[in-house]
Amino acid sequence: MKPALVCTDLVKRYGDRTVVDRVGFHIDEGEAYGLLGPNGAGKTTTISMLVGLLRPDGGTVTVGGVDVAADPIAAKRLIGYVPQDIALYPELTARENLRFFGRLYALPRRELAARIGEVLELVGLADRADDRVETYSGGMKRRTNIAVALLHRPRLLILDEPTVGVDPQSRVAILDNVERLVAEGMSLLYTSHYMEEVERVCTRVGIIDRGRLMADGSKRELVAELGGSDRVELVVDGDVEATAEKLRAVEGVSEAVVTGTSSVRLLATGGRHLLPTLIAAASGTAAVTGVEVVEPDLEAAFLHLTGSTLRD
Amino acid sequence: MSAVRAIVVANLLRQTRDRVGLFFMVVMPFVTIMFVGLAMGGAADARIPVAVVAADGDPTAAAVLRELSSSPALEVRRADSAEEVRADVRRGAVAAGLVIPQGSTRFDLVMTQTSGSGMAARSEIDVAVGKVSAVMEATRAAEKAGAGPELAAEHVRAAQAESAAVAVRDTGGDSGGPTGFAYTAPANLLLFTFINSMAVAAALVESRRIGMVRRTLAAPVREGTVLFGEALSRLVVAAAQALLIIVVSALMFGVSWGDPLGVTVVVALFCLVATGAAMLVGALVANPQQAPAIGPPLGIVLGMLGGCLWPKEVAGEALTTIGYLFPHSWAMDALLALTRPGSGLGTVWTEVAVLAGMAALALGIALIVFRRRALRVA
Repeated sequence: MKPALVCTDLVKRYGDRTVVDRVGFHIDEGEAYGLLGPNGAGKTTTISMLVGLLRPDGGTVTVGGVDVAADPIAAKRLIGYVPQDIALYPELTARENLRFFGRLYALPRRELAARIGEVLELVGLADRADDRVETYSGGMKRRTNIAVALLHRPRLLILDEPTVGVDPQSRVAILDNVERLVAEGMSLLYTSHYMEEVERVCTRVGIIDRGRLMADGSKRELVAELGGSDRVELVVDGDVEATAEKLRAVEGVSEAVVTGTSSVRLLATGGRHLLPTLIAAASGTAAVTGVEVVEPDLEAAFLHLTGSTLRD
Repeated sequence: MSAVRAIVVANLLRQTRDRVGLFFMVVMPFVTIMFVGLAMGGAADARIPVAVVAADGDPTAAAVLRELSSSPALEVRRADSAEEVRADVRRGAVAAGLVIPQGSTRFDLVMTQTSGSGMAARSEIDVAVGKVSAVMEATRAAEKAGAGPELAAEHVRAAQAESAAVAVRDTGGDSGGPTGFAYTAPANLLLFTFINSMAVAAALVESRRIGMVRRTLAAPVREGTVLFGEALSRLVVAAAQALLIIVVSALMFGVSWGDPLGVTVVVALFCLVATGAAMLVGALVANPQQAPAIGPPLGIVLGMLGGCLWPKEVAGEALTTIGYLFPHSWAMDALLALTRPGSGLGTVWTEVAVLAGMAALALGIALIVFRRRALRVA
């Protein structure tokens, strides 16, 4: 079977600023791929090129074997796109919005009514379907936004930060839905700056920062690149910048970044045994008031690959 | 085409959810037509106020005053000076004024050129003055023929009595003069069609702002389809507004619009211009709150220049000339011309040609700008 999505060497420039720089990855049929990166890393720009809303300055995109540049209409039929911003008419009800999009996708009238019922059921909004979208909570709007993308049974679902501004309950509901869809065989591209979400939903992850895809692979592959480094989170009382500087110089520490007004994140081999050394190194500029050593994870991989944190 | 229909249906549905917008489209035009129409002499049974300056003891003046006072359509009051009459006419306190200089048969008629009640007053005054001059002519003729003044007066009175029946039949039928509605209905059709088209542009700006226009493009539809659907949505609203005003004003106020083909062509072209303007505002304005702040005031100013708020002649030559840069003036001229008996599309071909040019220009620019700013996959 053809891969659900292949993109190669995607480039997007605005003036002399390169926003997306030779990004390439592929998603197999039925695979869930996560694009993990901080805000402004180029995730949304990349997705806009994948769904045909932005013309790349270089590179190619094929969806289900169809070249997006050559036949955008055919390619768009295969994609279910959930934009980061809610794209719904607020004055209309969820059902009316779905009917609108169903007609855009040229679904036959009789099939459409039934399908609208199905997707509303799927996202758990069947009982509020005839209320205007403007009366919905942020989470309900997000779920409607997702329902729109599922209407025409796409081969590839593309979710751009689907949980931004969503209450915890809706977030759980959205993630449950996405997991179920993937389990049923839907191909997925999921972008987020929340590591936990990507870890939970996706089998393969691409790490993107400043417009570049730094690495991609399964979680295990990415973590293996750390070579046994642990992530160490320190809470300090004092000059954080100076403390981070000092800690970076400690033997065994490969990265040290400031993550807040009183927190520093380190990548360190043998983190557990290094703790006394770290606390001693910090003394003079700050007092260490809290310590946490975390098993290697995507957050650590991200720090290792980019030298920065997922959240600014 | 399914996509075009989807866009139009969704936009119309949104329109019906906007209560304030609906009020301005459905109620406001008729409130305006009614009040302004009545103010301009729309009510047939109301007496038209007329001011007369006349010297006491002048026989001609006395005769004219007598005739005017006997007219059931007029309410005559005396004024002291020509200046006072002019001021009253300007203020609208009276529909027209008549200045009768002492011992002269050259009267000054004071009125604004195109107000409906002014026209009606003028025709009444013409009738009265005509009667008086006929009596004077007859008297002079009788005197010339050898009768003494008393005998002449007697002959004339006898002749007047005979013709009275005829005269009564002449004036007692239909009141005839142009009613205010014949002016305010087309004026408000243009005013409200344009203003509400501009207000509708706010919905378009909102669609752009919330990403609906772009989201639509992520569906398997062509740019041109979305563009056509969005433009058609505005055109349908403008056309519905115009049709509503035509039908309701005809039924409620008895306005006769004239040749259906001519009216259809003029109104359709005007709707296209309004659509172009709405699309342009929809494409250029960034914030949905700005559209209602820019659109309707612009609509009102163009309406003023085009004679939709008051007759163009009141505005003076400079403003009227500027007015012809915009569609309202041309459409207003065409619609007023079409109400005259025997006129048709051929009568207003100049206006139609100008409106067609404006429609092509406005739509052309709007569609290019909208495509570039809202739709282009860059």
